[in-house]
Amino acid sequence: MTAAREAIHLPVLFLTVTLLGGLRPGSAVALAPPSLFALILAVLLAGVLVQSGAFAPLRVMTASRPALANLNGGVLVAALLVASAQMFSLLTPDAGLPRVLFSVYFLVLLINTMAASPDRVRVLRSLAVTFGAAFVLKFIVLDALSDPAGGRLARLLQVLFEGVTLGALTQDAQHPAAGYVAFAAVVMFLAALSLLPSAARDTRRPEGLRLPGRSLPEA
Amino acid sequence: MKSMNETVVRAAGLGIAIVYAALIAWLFVRQPATFAEVTGGLSSAVGAYRIDQQAFEDGRQYFRNDQFAEARAAFDRADPARRDALTQFYIAYAFYREGWGRFYSDDELFRAGLEAVNRAIALAPNGRLVVEEPGQEIRTADELKAELERGLKVEASDLDPMRVFRPRK
Repeated sequence: MTAAREAIHLPVLFLTVTLLGGLRPGSAVALAPPSLFALILAVLLAGVLVQSGAFAPLRVMTASRPALANLNGGVLVAALLVASAQMFSLLTPDAGLPRVLFSVYFLVLLINTMAASPDRVRVLRSLAVTFGAAFVLKFIVLDALSDPAGGRLARLLQVLFEGVTLGALTQDAQHPAAGYVAFAAVVMFLAALSLLPSAARDTRRPEGLRLPGRSLPEA
Repeated sequence: MKSMNETVVRAAGLGIAIVYAALIAWLFVRQPATFAEVTGGLSSAVGAYRIDQQAFEDGRQYFRNDQFAEARAAFDRADPARRDALTQFYIAYAFYREGWGRFYSDDELFRAGLEAVNRAIALAPNGRLVVEEPGQEIRTADELKAELERGLKVEASDLDPMRVFRPRK
């Protein structure tokens, strides 16, 4: 991993996710900090990433590295944790039964992933599916069910769901921009996760190294 | 040379990350609702924020003429970032005067006034704001806050018939 990626690109990506994840567009823009439960989920996610080798903390913080490099690594780890917490906060509905269900869903899923101890690629795929599904449920399905200006079918479904769930399912209507901001945040977060220094061996040959008898003929 | 470049990149990255993180933390703490509040807050942090003096004078003129909605609009224009204590004081005062009634006060306007005067107190040096203006009965933010809080409370004295003779400040 290059120094620029570790010191600039990844921290900036994660911090941008933190900012976008907290953004709640509306008549007055608000910034919501992550909930305490989201912080716990973030720690679990960090555990999953380390266990699977998707993130190797020893490649960014170790005694053999210079102090400045370790500081960069510390910033990266902190940014990863805060961005993860913000991501869970963003994808969890704001109130009611869906909030409880999503929280339990994330918790069980992370514990299950830890127990299964998959490799890096599988964890990244699994996270993409998990976050993608949560995004669709919160910003498309629940939003459509909670939209007071929706069509006749939406209102009918809304009434049915409200009756069945005693009003515990519907959420406050979101600003149209909220879904787009959330989508950008999710994509950036997944991209940043895939760029993290992994535990996989770096098989690239150092520059200038030539194996005996295999060097290309001089032009 | 490569090591030197790497050190520069790492130091620059650390600086960028710290500044960016500080900016995000500031945004989360201050909760600016508009872009004007963001830019105003940042410029006031470096002492470069100035209100629109003309709009402020317009607001005071409307305020003296008891045109409170117009006064607030002008004050909002003068201080879009809500970073000036005096302007926030006058916004609160406009809410107080508009919400004041001989029989009852308008709780919604008084609550908005209380928010504005709290902002004014938070922005004033050491929380002390004195406004010397001829013909103005309330001259400090503390007095205005007390008046607004009194108006929001339900007390036995609210039933006093002599209350209708009290003056508007």
